[in-house]
Amino acid sequence: MSDWSKVTRPIPVPNEWTKPFWDAAKQGVLALQRCRSCGHVQHPPYATCTQCIGVDLTFEPVRGAGTIYAYTIMYHTGDKRFASAVPYASIVVELDDAPGALLAANLLDADYTEAKVGRRVEVMFEQLNDDITLPQFRLAAG
Amino acid sequence: MWDNRCKIAVSGVGYSKVSRTADRPLAAHALDAVRDAVADSGLRMQDIDGLATYPELPATGHAEVDGISIVSVNCMMAMLKLPALTWHIQVGTTNIGGAVQQATNALLAGVCTYAVVWRAMHNPAGTYQNLPGAYAQGAAQFTGPYGFGGPGQGMAVAYTRWLETNNQSRDKMATLAVTQRKHTQHNPHAYFHGTELTREDYFASRMVAYPFCLFDCDIPVQGAVAVVLTTADRARDLKPKPAYIAGYGQRLHFETAGRIGSLSSYMEGGSSSAKLTWERSGFTPKDVDVAQIYDGFSASVIYGLESYGFCKEGEALDFIQDGRIELDGDLPLNTFGGSLGTGRIHGLWHIIEGALQASGRAGSRQVKDANVSFVGASAPIVTGTTFIFVGDPY
Repeated sequence: MSDWSKVTRPIPVPNEWTKPFWDAAKQGVLALQRCRSCGHVQHPPYATCTQCIGVDLTFEPVRGAGTIYAYTIMYHTGDKRFASAVPYASIVVELDDAPGALLAANLLDADYTEAKVGRRVEVMFEQLNDDITLPQFRLAAG
Repeated sequence: MWDNRCKIAVSGVGYSKVSRTADRPLAAHALDAVRDAVADSGLRMQDIDGLATYPELPATGHAEVDGISIVSVNCMMAMLKLPALTWHIQVGTTNIGGAVQQATNALLAGVCTYAVVWRAMHNPAGTYQNLPGAYAQGAAQFTGPYGFGGPGQGMAVAYTRWLETNNQSRDKMATLAVTQRKHTQHNPHAYFHGTELTREDYFASRMVAYPFCLFDCDIPVQGAVAVVLTTADRARDLKPKPAYIAGYGQRLHFETAGRIGSLSSYMEGGSSSAKLTWERSGFTPKDVDVAQIYDGFSASVIYGLESYGFCKEGEALDFIQDGRIELDGDLPLNTFGGSLGTGRIHGLWHIIEGALQASGRAGSRQVKDANVSFVGASAPIVTGTTFIFVGDPY
């Protein structure tokens, strides 16, 4: 299993579009951008709705259940901050509540060999500092 | 069909030495390539009146210094002081293929007569891709914290998606790496000319970002290549046999920033560009004698072959087996070695080879009776462009 204890992750810098996502994550809630016109849920946040070009966008909580849409196992140690964790699984998750929205994460609490397309995962949260908590994923219970 | 079909041609082509390290300024490489291309056409430098490039340095986290790590149009203008210069451009939404297309448009518009396009690539000292610093800004705030860095990982996630939804094995990619390296032995300008690669080497190589091993990734190098484009009537008066542009296209799809892993984005980017190229040229994939498909990472060839229409989705790794992509196969592919053989010079070398094959100038790697020559000049998702060259228009 990857040892993340010595990894120093780059700290996300929220901006005016993404702040609600990080504010929710700090509370242990996964909230994605939703279009008030057509109901489309998308990630990453964008200036407009990628379905109807609506500009009336809000953030709403979604359930943290989804599947691994894609993944890669990182072996390269070019970035020394992550070197202690290789090989590690960086995954892309598609949530049940937001088809088409793709969230990057690491697969935590599991061997990297457990990362497979289609496997069920659930959200968990990793606190980076007082301001930023990172949504992460682990294999779904059961 | 396109009104301007076969009205513009690639004439001369040129190369600098390709080296692993930046042993001299990149501007010197670019000058070598441009001079070589102009000489290949039998022109004098003062005849050149159009300049175009895509100068971007794909290595993230390094300074862009003109003449050292990039070679912009301004840099080239300052060096050459062309007396007849009437037109120049740098492109943004496409890679180098877009510079070739803009030069084509400028020639069609009559605002220049002999245009040179170059691509110069720098290999900085140290790690090629540096992840965001202590903080991840913009789109990287959703990827950088998880260790997603350079384009290799971004492509790798789409590749696992492709492999596992299609129940395919990465082992089949060895055929691409080994065949292209074989082709490379016919290209003396390539970085890996003189270095063989076996299937055993491929399987024994270290993993970089699964499913990519070392030999799925083009090696960063320092070097430049260049082409001369001109109108068909002028091209016929020059030294080399012209390679006429029968049609071109550019990708019409863009993924919202920071959304990674979406396989459909590669397919939509590639198919939108190819559709324009097929319609404009009047050709179909079945007409193609030889193909160059961008291979900065090996999986780009999969997305290219499928989205351009050479094979069905999910079948590309089977399609490349059994000798099909050999020089005497049904679809000789990346006959100059591809980026995997030449080193990372981006898609202008694919365009050069497409032109050389169409005009019968590819030397010992020439595909017999090749006329209709297809090029996918960069990864379909971000900056994809496609071309058809023909030696004998019909």
